[in-house]
Amino acid sequence: MTFQTYDCLQMLPIILLSLSGIALLFLGFQKSRALLLPATLLFLVIAFVANFLDWGKTYMYFRDMLLVNNLAMIFTGVVLLSTFMVVSLSGSLADDEDAQPAEYYAILLFSLVGAIMMIGFENLIMLFVGVEILSVAMYILTGSDKRNLRSNEAALKYFLMGAFATGILLFGIALLYGATGSFVLSGIGNYAHSATNAGGSMLLFYVGMFMLLIGMLFKVSAAPFHFWTPDVYDGAPSLFTAYMSTVVKTAGFAALLRILSVSFSGVYDFWWVAMAVVTVLTLLIGNITAVYQASFKRMMAYSSISHAGYLLIGLVGLSQASKPAIAFYSLAYSLSTIAAFGVLMLVARNRPLNAAVFGDQTTLARTDEHYDAFNGLARKNPLLGFVMAVSMLSLAGIPLTAGFWGKFMVFSAAADRGAVWLLVVAVLMSAVGIYYYFRVVIAMYFREGQTDTIRVAPFYRIVLIAATVLTLALGLLPNLFQGLI
Amino acid sequence: MEGFFMAFYRMGWHRTAANYVRFIANLRSFLSLLSMNTASYLPSDYIPIFIQLSLALGFIVVTMLVTHNIGPKRHSVKKDDPFECGIPTQGDARAPISIKYFLVAILFVLFDVEVIFMYPWAVNFMQLGQEGFIQMVLFMGLLLAGFYYVIRKGVLKWE
Repeated sequence: MTFQTYDCLQMLPIILLSLSGIALLFLGFQKSRALLLPATLLFLVIAFVANFLDWGKTYMYFRDMLLVNNLAMIFTGVVLLSTFMVVSLSGSLADDEDAQPAEYYAILLFSLVGAIMMIGFENLIMLFVGVEILSVAMYILTGSDKRNLRSNEAALKYFLMGAFATGILLFGIALLYGATGSFVLSGIGNYAHSATNAGGSMLLFYVGMFMLLIGMLFKVSAAPFHFWTPDVYDGAPSLFTAYMSTVVKTAGFAALLRILSVSFSGVYDFWWVAMAVVTVLTLLIGNITAVYQASFKRMMAYSSISHAGYLLIGLVGLSQASKPAIAFYSLAYSLSTIAAFGVLMLVARNRPLNAAVFGDQTTLARTDEHYDAFNGLARKNPLLGFVMAVSMLSLAGIPLTAGFWGKFMVFSAAADRGAVWLLVVAVLMSAVGIYYYFRVVIAMYFREGQTDTIRVAPFYRIVLIAATVLTLALGLLPNLFQGLI
Repeated sequence: MEGFFMAFYRMGWHRTAANYVRFIANLRSFLSLLSMNTASYLPSDYIPIFIQLSLALGFIVVTMLVTHNIGPKRHSVKKDDPFECGIPTQGDARAPISIKYFLVAILFVLFDVEVIFMYPWAVNFMQLGQEGFIQMVLFMGLLLAGFYYVIRKGVLKWE
């Protein structure tokens, strides 16, 4: 038990984010809220730089609890970049009397610590701690719109179901420990390799594995465990929905990728069928239900389910190639989702819900997030129209955008495994996806509507443009992560 | 109470209890002999647990039945009232309670847990040395920062 200097100095992002979260809490005691947003962005930039200090090396920290390698650093980078963009879209919080921006930003930074633990865990205890840090923060932020009934409902639903899923996850971890005698990923992997060769009963191991997978699949909202997603994403404030559907999903898939590739690759033949069934269900339910939504925000919730399905394809076709594929897909998906939510927040803010149209729902929702709100948007606001159109194209997977290459890479990872029937389903469902993503584009460009010119703050505008440019640039640079991992 | 123990002794139940313990011990060693070859636990290894469980459940059920059936029953308004620290009850259980009670309860749990961490550290203070001390200072520092935040937020102000 010696006090090693590298042990505590190198896991910098986690330490920096924790400390800056505490600093933000105390910054909130100032009268002026003007400093909060720049401070948060500064902290995120520092953490982003600190994250890449270890580039090219592989380290194990805190007595084999956390691993840092290039893959983990890339996922952490994606998560930090997404958070940076989400936070920079939050300028209106400073003017909101009910909001408490200092606490929100602090909770976001704390939840990032959990996300980074989920990305780099080497010990299942770290996975559990990371999942809990991230989830508890999300429960709070979901209910942060305290005067909105739907936000309260969403928070309660998310909390109850999330706590239940965490219980299943923990039970799975306990059973895995009972079967293998180890919490360490490589230890469990060694057991899986040797026990399958030796023969004999592995019932305890398999039950534990599936319970752990169920817990994780719940967190990324894959199909039989997706029921919380639409209500929670719809009820939460749009800002935090954007955060949930990007950062939480990226971290969840990084964790799934890590545990499947390190611990369970030895029993691939056993779990891939189950994962393939989950994938097909997720794709079908996510895409087909999204078609029937009248609310854009609810459609984005189902869209996030369907993208979980595409990411799962990368896991079913588990290979060395699926690591950069999932990282690239997460980045592409995050960029377009944040841009879409950015435009949605602007549009919805300028359109308080019309009581005559939606009847008694006014008491539930404060703003109009339906497709109709986008009617004729592009005429007066060409920039917003273009940003939204590019992000929809990217989510639909049209070539020359990042989303196309993301889909291409996860599909080719699965094709290498010979799962052609899975790809047929996926491609068909992408075609369905084009329908509901293009509804917004059609509403913006071809429908008549009374939309005024929407005032966009300069920084907000820069972030929207940056997300769009990055989406298009990644569409031309698909090999971004190829040689790095 | 002494009379109860004397009756217990006279009826020879202490021997029964001792026999029960011996029986469990014998069963345990017998079963462990059985399972020695496989070096893993058999379902039959859990028999003592089930005996223990049924005894615990049986004790509860028997005491509940006996107390309900043996004792005399006298009803009155005062006797049938829910009893809480001797204070007259007000309203029903769903009456809204100030959120401050909840916050104080949460804070209590937080500092309770903190003390649980302090005890093992205090016992092993010398062995843990400088590293343990630094870790405990960090832990306490973070906790006190949170406590200061709570006070500044006015959570403990009761007007």
